[in-house]
Amino acid sequence: MNVGQEEMVRSLREMVGEDYVNTDVFERINYADTSLPYDVEEEDLPDVVVHPGNAHEVAEVVKYANREKIPVTTYGSGTSLIFGTKPKHRGITLSTKRLNFFQIEEDFQWFECGAGVTIAHITGELEKRGYCLPINVGSRLQATIGGAVSVNTCGHLMDYIYGKPVSNVLSVEIVLPTGEIIQTGSKSIRRATGWDLMRLFVGAEGILGVITRIRMAFYPKPETVDTVAFFKTAEEIGHAFALMFKKKLPPILDGEFVSEKCCKVGYEAYGLDFPEGAMAVTQSMGRTKEDALNNAKQVADFLRRAGAIESFVLEDAKIRGQVWGVRENAMRWGKEKGLKGYLAIEVNPPLPFLPRAIRELNHITEGRNDLIGGTEAYLYGHIGASSLHCLFAFPYAWSREKMKQVVRDIWNLEKDLNIKYDGVGGDWGQLPYRVPFYREKYGETSYGIIKKVKQLLDPNNILNRGNLEGEE
Amino acid sequence: MKDEIRKEEKLDKSLETSLMDSLVSCEKCHLCNTDCPVCDHRVTHGPVGINRAIYYGMKWNQFTKELRDLVYSCTTCARCVATCKQVSRALPLVEIFEKARELLLVEKMIGPMPDQRNVLKNIYRRGNPWGCPPQERTKWAEGLDVFYASKKNNVETLYYVGCATSYDPQSQKIAKNLSKILKRAGIDFGILENEQCSGSEAKRMGEKGLFEHLAETNMKMFEEAGIRHIVTGDPHSFYSFSQEYPNRTNGLKVEHYTQFLNRLIDEMKLTLSMRVPKKVTYHDPCYLGRKSEVFEEPRKLIKRIPGVEFVEMEKCKENSDCCGMGGGRMWMEPPKGLVSSHVIAEKRVKQAFDTAAEILLTACPFCNITLTDAVKGLNKEDSLKIIDITELMAMSL
Repeated sequence: MNVGQEEMVRSLREMVGEDYVNTDVFERINYADTSLPYDVEEEDLPDVVVHPGNAHEVAEVVKYANREKIPVTTYGSGTSLIFGTKPKHRGITLSTKRLNFFQIEEDFQWFECGAGVTIAHITGELEKRGYCLPINVGSRLQATIGGAVSVNTCGHLMDYIYGKPVSNVLSVEIVLPTGEIIQTGSKSIRRATGWDLMRLFVGAEGILGVITRIRMAFYPKPETVDTVAFFKTAEEIGHAFALMFKKKLPPILDGEFVSEKCCKVGYEAYGLDFPEGAMAVTQSMGRTKEDALNNAKQVADFLRRAGAIESFVLEDAKIRGQVWGVRENAMRWGKEKGLKGYLAIEVNPPLPFLPRAIRELNHITEGRNDLIGGTEAYLYGHIGASSLHCLFAFPYAWSREKMKQVVRDIWNLEKDLNIKYDGVGGDWGQLPYRVPFYREKYGETSYGIIKKVKQLLDPNNILNRGNLEGEE
Repeated sequence: MKDEIRKEEKLDKSLETSLMDSLVSCEKCHLCNTDCPVCDHRVTHGPVGINRAIYYGMKWNQFTKELRDLVYSCTTCARCVATCKQVSRALPLVEIFEKARELLLVEKMIGPMPDQRNVLKNIYRRGNPWGCPPQERTKWAEGLDVFYASKKNNVETLYYVGCATSYDPQSQKIAKNLSKILKRAGIDFGILENEQCSGSEAKRMGEKGLFEHLAETNMKMFEEAGIRHIVTGDPHSFYSFSQEYPNRTNGLKVEHYTQFLNRLIDEMKLTLSMRVPKKVTYHDPCYLGRKSEVFEEPRKLIKRIPGVEFVEMEKCKENSDCCGMGGGRMWMEPPKGLVSSHVIAEKRVKQAFDTAAEILLTACPFCNITLTDAVKGLNKEDSLKIIDITELMAMSL
């Protein structure tokens, strides 16, 4: 870094205006703090937070940072669960929140928007016109489209319905680490074959450029009908879903599950008298409500045949609300035992390994003498997308070092499980904490290729510095 | 003296401990920032940002003006509380912010906001935030033949008017219209000759001690006048009386007028007969709606006025946006860089314009004042009138 904070602030204010450059300690804390259970320290804070209002201002900031070799961490809404927005080398945190342009082009069948627009806003606007966004993340109220496209996540949705964002993004505008602005892609719903630079940036987790504008296809909003099934164990749910695809049932949009322990907590919280055990919820779709209902009935029948104690279509709005309430209660697990520290992981096993992976995760803390053994684990996830989440809760009173250690142990456990079950990080991205997993799974040659691409586009390693290196 | 100091230290420690206990429960999911009226493009300006600022402020001993400005910027509308309850850890965020204000005011002596200092003094000395003469509090009732509630008069219902409605000329219409309606229904009601502030706004600004003093004084006054039933048109006082006053369940029934008047219509004591052919919409006051969960009664009352065409705004009931003046913001404008109250109010009236209604109804003097100013600021007084439900009802008597 060639300049100090004062000089940096002066220059940035000239580029984006005084109101959009902040050095207040609480601002810097908020843009450094993540949902990691341990607190940030003074050395974790960025030197300055900048809020550019358009691609040209972003380009000015990045060009300046590149010239002065100042690290730049891109920040959408801070909902990342891989903690990519935490600055590893101070410098500038660049918020995309003011990139909030939004326009639907119904004739073209796409929308175009700034990277800072939230998933909820896009979903709401599309739904008003009878369309849907092929992304549904749990943090949709705050998560930005720029963040989702950067990690290429479709969230809870089944990958094979609409695909990942890389299949639906038609174009991205990118500010390169050297400050040039490039346009990619197409205005046609027919995307380019062969070399399409757009694909290089979607899922690059912000290390190759700053995405400032996105053009993306949308779909007619399907009618949906939900189904619930109660099983004795979560493992049985794994068996059922591993089999479901081979039965060629009408594809579901979303399939969620909640393990025995989580159900117990949820049922108690809501005073529900559901059958003891684990619960699966699916969302069937159709062009009409009748289509969706027929498809849902087929799923309910199948799940019953596959071992569910009880399964039925959720036609009663009150029961439907209660069922989803149990699933959405996830953020409160651990609270019933007074545990306030927490960390979640994801394991994405191939279908045949689902039951075994569920069984292992469901008993993951048992018989362990390490720190993980001292946590309380809660298993849930997007079973339809073969995505298993496990939330580890532990006392907040643990020391920072102890928390850091348990976090490392849990990340290491996630790595080992994904290696063992041939899984990937399917929801949240690969950097920074998953770098050891990536290197082990794909090897040093693959990892080296990414480093070379990074070096080529970002010679001074200014963008999201430390993420590709796997720094905490 | 030493005992008193020790007692105070213990209280302060307990406040800090309970604050910290709530703060560490935050999952930092950021979802509470959604729809927060004071949150702009900066994460720091939303509930999660304020929450983290308090946490690190306490942890790093950074009790600065910047922290105070953030903590006092909240309108206490509780939109974040509803979101956190629905999708996250159900944190009592407004309670956290009010406790932080108490900490900043009582212990750290950097609260409240400079403009609010005199407001608290006025409440203490003159019984109202504006420092108006106490003897003029009931002036609005002159010539209306409204009784004073006392042991001797033994009225069935106390109409608690509230500070804004007592003194603000625009809000006085609420008192006059409500009195007219109650009289028409034959209700034996009275007002307090020495009514004073409920203390609700003092609590919002972190002056819990003043709130407790006023609560005690008011409860004593109610008891001395033999009051068993209170009706008010001020949702802030309504919330404090029904949910914050000590011994509030001690046989004292508290109603907002929207609840009471519906009951009177049900019991055939009140009839609305004149047609009022107006297209109207309704703004849910935060302290009546989200905080007290009174959503249906105002709507029911509006729909009972013959001729009225009622339309909802896109954001209504639990999801209603705030007018921007709660939480003590009535008496201060946040420093540069933070979202101004006018911006919040203008956003809300623009939602009303989208309904093509002629009248935006509300049931709170604060909202009434704020939204009226916003319409004036937008030069749209000819397109949209802001009035209280009582005014529309009075037209129908």
